[in-house]
Amino acid sequence: MSAVYGLYPDGHAAQQAVNRLRAAGVADRDITILSARPMEEFEFGQRDRQTWMWWFASFGGLLGMAAGYGLSWLTETSWAIDVGGLPTFAWWPNLIVMFELTMLGAILAAVLTLVVSALLPTRGQTLYDPEVSEGQILVGVERPGEARLADLEQALSAPPGARVKQSP
Amino acid sequence: MTPATGTRINDDLTRPLLLTSWRFYLLVAFFGAFVAAGLAAWFSQIFFGIGIAGIRWPVYWGFYVTNFVFWIGISHAGTLISAILRLVDAGWRRPVTRCAEVITVFALMIGALFPIIHLGRPWLAFWLFPYPSERLIWPNFRSPLVWDFFAINTYLTGSILFLLLPMIPDFAVVRDRSTGLRHRIYRLLALGWRGTPKQWHRLETAMQIMAIAILPVAVSVHTIVSFDFSMAPVPMWQSTIFGPYFVAGAIFSGIAALIIAMAALRRFLQLEEYLRPIHFDNLGKLLLMMALIWGYFVFNERLVTYYGNEPAEMTVFWRTQRQSFAPLHWTMIACNFLVPLVLMGIRRFRTIGGCVVASFAVIVGMWLERFLIIVPSLGAKYLPYSFGIYRPQPVEIIITAATFAAMGLLYVLFAKVIPIISIWELKAGEHTPSAAARALDEERLGKVRP
Amino acid sequence: MPRWGMAADLDRCNGCGACVVACHAENNISTVGAAEAARGRAKHWIRVERYWEGEFPDVRLKFRPVMCQQCDSAPCEPVCPTYASHHTADGLNAQVYNRCIGTRYCANACPYNVRFFDFFNPSWDRPLQLQLNPDVSLRSVGVMEKCTFCVQRIRGAQIQAKAEGRELRDGEIQPACVQSCAPRALVFGDLQDPESEVSRLSRSARGAKLLEDVGTQPAVTYLAKQT
Repeated sequence: MSAVYGLYPDGHAAQQAVNRLRAAGVADRDITILSARPMEEFEFGQRDRQTWMWWFASFGGLLGMAAGYGLSWLTETSWAIDVGGLPTFAWWPNLIVMFELTMLGAILAAVLTLVVSALLPTRGQTLYDPEVSEGQILVGVERPGEARLADLEQALSAPPGARVKQSP
Repeated sequence: MTPATGTRINDDLTRPLLLTSWRFYLLVAFFGAFVAAGLAAWFSQIFFGIGIAGIRWPVYWGFYVTNFVFWIGISHAGTLISAILRLVDAGWRRPVTRCAEVITVFALMIGALFPIIHLGRPWLAFWLFPYPSERLIWPNFRSPLVWDFFAINTYLTGSILFLLLPMIPDFAVVRDRSTGLRHRIYRLLALGWRGTPKQWHRLETAMQIMAIAILPVAVSVHTIVSFDFSMAPVPMWQSTIFGPYFVAGAIFSGIAALIIAMAALRRFLQLEEYLRPIHFDNLGKLLLMMALIWGYFVFNERLVTYYGNEPAEMTVFWRTQRQSFAPLHWTMIACNFLVPLVLMGIRRFRTIGGCVVASFAVIVGMWLERFLIIVPSLGAKYLPYSFGIYRPQPVEIIITAATFAAMGLLYVLFAKVIPIISIWELKAGEHTPSAAARALDEERLGKVRP
Repeated sequence: MPRWGMAADLDRCNGCGACVVACHAENNISTVGAAEAARGRAKHWIRVERYWEGEFPDVRLKFRPVMCQQCDSAPCEPVCPTYASHHTADGLNAQVYNRCIGTRYCANACPYNVRFFDFFNPSWDRPLQLQLNPDVSLRSVGVMEKCTFCVQRIRGAQIQAKAEGRELRDGEIQPACVQSCAPRALVFGDLQDPESEVSRLSRSARGAKLLEDVGTQPAVTYLAKQT
């Protein structure tokens, strides 16, 4: 048996379950919470807010800008072709290409950060119940160990509307 | 009206994926026939030579470039609704964002086809991509067409990602409700989505970043498309107003396309509870505002040209307003300005039906506007001996019709495999502080017009 | 480094059209047939524009031969995405057929409408294909083409002069239109050489450029008709 968890019909019950688990001595990082929508009006929905994503996106934008500048400068100066008397490296038109590649870099960096940091499956965090997508909120502990099982089940079944399950 | 519960929302929005009626197959066959005809027309153009189209000396751009600008313009629907309304946290956007983002992605894909369709040697289109070739030559970054290439590709990539990211939680919902092969496919698409707070935070941060990034890209895309015209010394093209004028026109036509798509979805997928009259009312007001902005830009451009009284420009001016293009021009003014002003300005007419009628008028009017920017100017360039008249040929008309059918087909197929309204965003919207205020708004509107 | 230019004396031009025919012959320009020509597909790299003023019998006729003006500030050059249209060091606007993918932006940008497009693969009825000039490449469907000031003759003369170890003489290079002009209305030469005939004509009081206010700085001077 690899996890014990409870399904709750609303955020208040889920918040109570989380509090009781903490009182039973479970560390925050061992508590798994799953919901079908972001639940930021509750305390448990506020965890793990920290992210470096803005920095990564800005860095991606800088990379894109450098790529745009490098591409236009290197290609235009390596074979200087006179078109309409414009300078070999004309800033106004090249800024356009640099801008587009900057934004592309920022967008791709943000998405890459999301996929790598949140969407790739992590070992030891596989707890899931399909009822979550019907609106139930799952609060549980993975690999709890035999000793604490009774305490955890008691903590999880206390809030109203709880249905406690174990996953094999 | 009680808000739909979580399970009922899931039921209503995944039903189109899991149940298929005969109407779906009929629509696919109908649109598919036009698309097939368009593909046949295109291949015949490549086989026989582009001469079977109507372009000629000196009107070298015609229907294809009109369609290009038109479809890229339609693609601004998604950005406005999704990104701007997301950034100002307007609650009424929630059922509408995915419909809009889908329009953006498909309109961009269709629009991006036209630079290839109109090429004399389309099999060499890949030369626009900067790669180290053995000819030692790169694309000309001073050319607006190369800017088009970068801008459209950036916008397309950004839009696809902007569409895909919020779909991941919805893929999880479909994954949980399906079995067999469908279950396996949606499990793959949902990646590792479970719904932890960390995943929600990261997703929303990524959406925020993308909304901020994609707005300037969208503005730049249609500005760069306008540069395809304003960078050439053609009478009435070399106007500094083209950038903002085109962006405003794009947003205008995008909103019209969105209204039509939403009305169709509401009817065909029984989404009356989700796409409510308040949404159409708000979009109708936006359409009215854009009609006024469009009229303002057109007035500006024409008045300045008129006062300039430059011979070459006045030739094109009169050609459009009084001579051979006058019927099209005044139809355009009626469709783009008068019809939306009347239908959207008078509250009695601002119903869902009124919005759809006004939107169809705007679609027609905006297509005509693109045509009237391109063809009259090219046909009357400076030296009278070289004036010319453009006559569209069957291949161009078939391909134009096929793109409208392609849009319909792609939309129908999309609504079949992916929930057309973002399930988790809808649920999340019920629980924000602004939801209470929104419910009050809808009650009020419900009393005026059931 | 020479800078090639032309002068066209509108007093001398009588609209005979020999220049048009010679250009077709020299540069392997195919005819397109009556139907296609009516649809505006003819490719006359040099054309004779005919304008008339007044009512019969007081009609005054003007003929103006218009070819690529080889502009110093050519609007057709920056807009080509593949560098097919670019400026050479000796002042010619070069068109590289192999780089052209046929976007036709250059043709739209040209205020003189002197750029032409191959709408179909060119063909010549037999035995006319035997008359093709081996010095000029054939263009396939989908590329732009235009007057090159007969660059093949310029390069040929330059190579010949270099082989003979001498300078080029004024009047030695004659594009096909210049060579075939019976009233000698068209003159070609080096604008950098102040003694050349084209330089003197370009400084003439009757001289003007076509569409000068558009800002293209063309290399062709038109001498106004006086009679």
